[in-house]
Amino acid sequence: MKPSEDPSDDATDPRAGASIDEFVPDRPDDATDGAADSATAVRSDGGTVDADSPFETTASVAETRTDRVDRFFEEYIRTPWSILRTDWRALAAFAILGTYILIATVGVYLIEPTESAHGPQLLGVFETWEFPLGTTSSGKDVLALAVHSTPSILVMMASGAVFTVVIGSFFGVVAGYKGGMVDTVLSTITDVFINIPGLPLVIVLAMLLEEWINNPVALGVLLAVAAWAGLARSIRSQVLTIRSESFIEAARAMDLPTRWILLREIIPHLLPYIVVNMMNAARRVIFAAVALYFLGVLPFSDANWGVMLNNAYNAGALYRTSAIHWLLVPMIAITGIAIGLILLAQSLDQVFNPRIRARHQDLGDDDQIEPDSETDTKDMMNV
Amino acid sequence: MTISQSAAQADRPNGDVIMELDDTSVEFGMSRGRSRVLNGVDFEVSRDEIVGVIGESGSGKSMFASAMLDAVPEPGVTTGDVTYYPEDDDPVSVTDLSKEELRRFRWEEVSMVFQGAMSSFNPVLKIRTHFVETLSAHDYNVERGLERVRELLEDLYLEPERMLESYPHELSGGMKQRVLIALSLVLDPEMLVMDEPTAALDLLMQRSIISLLHDIQDKHDLTIVFITHDLPLVANLADRLAVLYAFEFAEVGPADDILEDPAHPYTRALLNATPNLSAPLEEMRPIEGESPDPVNIPEGCSYHPRCPIADEMCRSHDPDAYDAGADHDVHCHHWEDSIENIDNALASSGSMDRSRRTAADRSADEEPVVSLDDIEVEFGSENDGLLDFGDSEIVTAVDGISLDIYQNDVVVLVGESGCGKTTLGKTAVGLQQPTDGTIEYKGRDIWEGSGNSSTLADKEIRRALQIVHQDPGSSLNSHHRVRTILETPLKRWHSDLDGNDRRERILGMLEYVGISPPEDYIDRYPHQLSGGEKQRVALIRAMLINPDLILADEAVSALDVSLRVSTMDLMIELQDVFNTSYLAISHDLSNARYFAEKTGGRIGVMYLGELVEIGSPEQIIHDPKHPYTQALRWATPELDRDEDIDDNPMRTIDVPDQTNMPSGCRYHTRCPKAREVCRTQKPELIDRSDEDGVQHTACFRALEDHEYWDSEPIAEEPPAAEETGSAD
Repeated sequence: MKPSEDPSDDATDPRAGASIDEFVPDRPDDATDGAADSATAVRSDGGTVDADSPFETTASVAETRTDRVDRFFEEYIRTPWSILRTDWRALAAFAILGTYILIATVGVYLIEPTESAHGPQLLGVFETWEFPLGTTSSGKDVLALAVHSTPSILVMMASGAVFTVVIGSFFGVVAGYKGGMVDTVLSTITDVFINIPGLPLVIVLAMLLEEWINNPVALGVLLAVAAWAGLARSIRSQVLTIRSESFIEAARAMDLPTRWILLREIIPHLLPYIVVNMMNAARRVIFAAVALYFLGVLPFSDANWGVMLNNAYNAGALYRTSAIHWLLVPMIAITGIAIGLILLAQSLDQVFNPRIRARHQDLGDDDQIEPDSETDTKDMMNV
Repeated sequence: MTISQSAAQADRPNGDVIMELDDTSVEFGMSRGRSRVLNGVDFEVSRDEIVGVIGESGSGKSMFASAMLDAVPEPGVTTGDVTYYPEDDDPVSVTDLSKEELRRFRWEEVSMVFQGAMSSFNPVLKIRTHFVETLSAHDYNVERGLERVRELLEDLYLEPERMLESYPHELSGGMKQRVLIALSLVLDPEMLVMDEPTAALDLLMQRSIISLLHDIQDKHDLTIVFITHDLPLVANLADRLAVLYAFEFAEVGPADDILEDPAHPYTRALLNATPNLSAPLEEMRPIEGESPDPVNIPEGCSYHPRCPIADEMCRSHDPDAYDAGADHDVHCHHWEDSIENIDNALASSGSMDRSRRTAADRSADEEPVVSLDDIEVEFGSENDGLLDFGDSEIVTAVDGISLDIYQNDVVVLVGESGCGKTTLGKTAVGLQQPTDGTIEYKGRDIWEGSGNSSTLADKEIRRALQIVHQDPGSSLNSHHRVRTILETPLKRWHSDLDGNDRRERILGMLEYVGISPPEDYIDRYPHQLSGGEKQRVALIRAMLINPDLILADEAVSALDVSLRVSTMDLMIELQDVFNTSYLAISHDLSNARYFAEKTGGRIGVMYLGELVEIGSPEQIIHDPKHPYTQALRWATPELDRDEDIDDNPMRTIDVPDQTNMPSGCRYHTRCPKAREVCRTQKPELIDRSDEDGVQHTACFRALEDHEYWDSEPIAEEPPAAEETGSAD
């Protein structure tokens, strides 16, 4: 980008006139460059308006890095924040997920890892402050177990969700937009993955990739390996309707690159759906992981909510009241994070809605124009 | 004559009133305050009359219809009295009816025809089921009812048996709308409320349905309330007209009075703003300003912000009904004044330069910007064997059209929906690959080197050909601000501009097209713009990269009548600045005439994928040679009421099936002048240009010595049930 030059020499700056001339029709009185000084009215905000053609207007002040950063902040940070700030679901979600992240980052340093015979067997909840959530039948600290399994669970969840959404959206959007041969190939791959039975595949893969499986990222991806296909299918069908909209045709007529059309024109319409699916995928990864640990398919290498559940079950926690906390703690941990994700997905829906964004934008003046007067009324009247 | 009775139980005010609304309001509670979408309306409908209710979008006309049936959707609240006077029974207060009474009232006494015929039917039920359900829901004898249905369908030029056995998707839009009318009449109601019944249809079909309504009304002693935004459409049909503005009636009176001697300034402005075929172009001028917001109706007369003769009185006092003649009420303090002065006032307030351009001389050796040569476009799949079990079904949308578009040229394509005009347009701007034929841009084949890709290889050509869409709602991405929408083409084609330059240029453009203050609009989302503003933004977006040809696909038909003229004026003005050519598409001959005549362009008439006539607007409008053009001319509603509307110049109402094109001249199945030779031989475009203008016609009648004149006429019968409109 060009550096900020002295704003006053705009009119004589060759850039202002020459570069656009080739696109602007020839005018008989082409006395622009020199005479422009007197002919152009200087706008209050620094720009110039040529009396004859607004198509030649250029700014007298070059754009600085600060301007761009500022605009970026307004669009992607300030407006979303001002929307989320007013929504209790968002605040609750941030609180819940923030707690989990704190536990995963700070908590693991505050609470020591535990080992067998760390304390007395099957101590109840809040009986001593040394083991506030009690102990297991082998004398391990339940709190420490729960806390130390959080980081790997979070990483696994995030990697699984991101994998599902990225692969699913890519296949869906490209297949839906491109059509033809590309669509046939991508859709066939999608169909294959839909039809492979997910659980057996994961079990087989878990066996084959045994030395990778202790890495939570690899595990997350493995658990999501069959989950993206459904998302890809439904995104594809939504793209099919969006791509026939006029604005997509206009974008093609302007020769915008396909990448741009997909990312800037189509994806924003799908974002609410994609985000909800991402949160769902994250939940599913946790559930699947817990289930597989519980079934004993995955190796019991690490502390894990699923492993805890399995051990508690084996220790008869279902019918022994003295062991019930061993079962409840991981269950609450799983439910809590699931609720946090659902609330976050619901509240993010608002961020992507242009009607709500418009209400929260910083217009810089108090007498804001009435935003969606007509449309609101129309919606109401079912017109 | 305002209404004096207020209590519903009072004696009927007048022997022949069927429906009376007294101080009726409809309100919606909204976060921004109470929205009054119908504001204290008094109105009477007389028995056996046709009332035309005219209003722009957002004037409360649909609410007026709903209020008459107490069918305002939740959470709307209707207040005031709506009284229905049965022929020989006690008056009924519609708002006080119980649910069960309302259900009976709604189809048996007053029925309604909605706008969206497409969505009024359940797609999984046969048409017969719709009728049977309606009959049995109201405890009618189904057998006798179906007899009546057959009769009704026949009156509407439909084959009863075929219709009843069809599913909704098998019918064309016009057929569906007619079946819907039959459905609404099946219980023999006294009154029919039609809310924009023809808005989604073609001109020809609109006109045909309008003339059918006349017969139906006579035959069944109906009272019809016809609600529309299209003034000329009802001009011929209605006995009385009522003009709605800002949720109130501006003027009510006999149709002749309203059309010839309107007393309200809004009615005058509306008449002037309506493009039509006969009035001189200079008389057409847009209405400045916009309709008010229902939450914020202006004090005093609601029209005063836009009215050229408004004074202190109008700002402070809401005008009551003034009596402007027999049965003629006008809500304007200055109605007497208005008749004399309004035209002058309007003329002086018009700011645009309205000089008409003269037709540019097109010398034969001038190189066309875009040249179409024998273009053919086919849709549908051929059966490609293996794994494809469907039938091969090919629709030829465009069949062998050649057309040259020059610099600064305007060509307006006119035709019914499905005639291939949009396909031809998109082919011309390289958004649709032709099956056969070539398109050249300044002598270069635009698809050269593109292979199988759907975009043009030559980026300069891609830039030179742009499009403005019909629906302003979907032509802008609803997730982007105006700034982002307009920055995109600049980023792609003027990469030397930085963010501030782009912003300034966009601000300048917005101001240029009359969107002000631009600083305020640049950060809005599309849903915060009105329809006209959206269309202007879409126009700027195409203009910003300075194309040589813009395809304007029905660019004004989705806009309110009062905005059409101003939008077309803007397009013409931008053409002067940019030397851009337009290929415009319209189903409306009056819009086409305005646009083409003002720019000295040409009008091309398309029928079933072929160009049947092309020429200067003067020739096409005033001296159409092709019978199809004559039919379009007939179908274009006029404000002049003397015209006879009953003689339909076509033999059938419906368009032939596109998968099975008629042989010879494609129009011969509907043409009243068709002769035997038209069945077998296909006419080429024949040059009939003279000193008045260019004109090419694809009809044997243009030739004086053709065997046509010795051939036998095909048919002389009146319009019959569709023998050709098979949709199998």
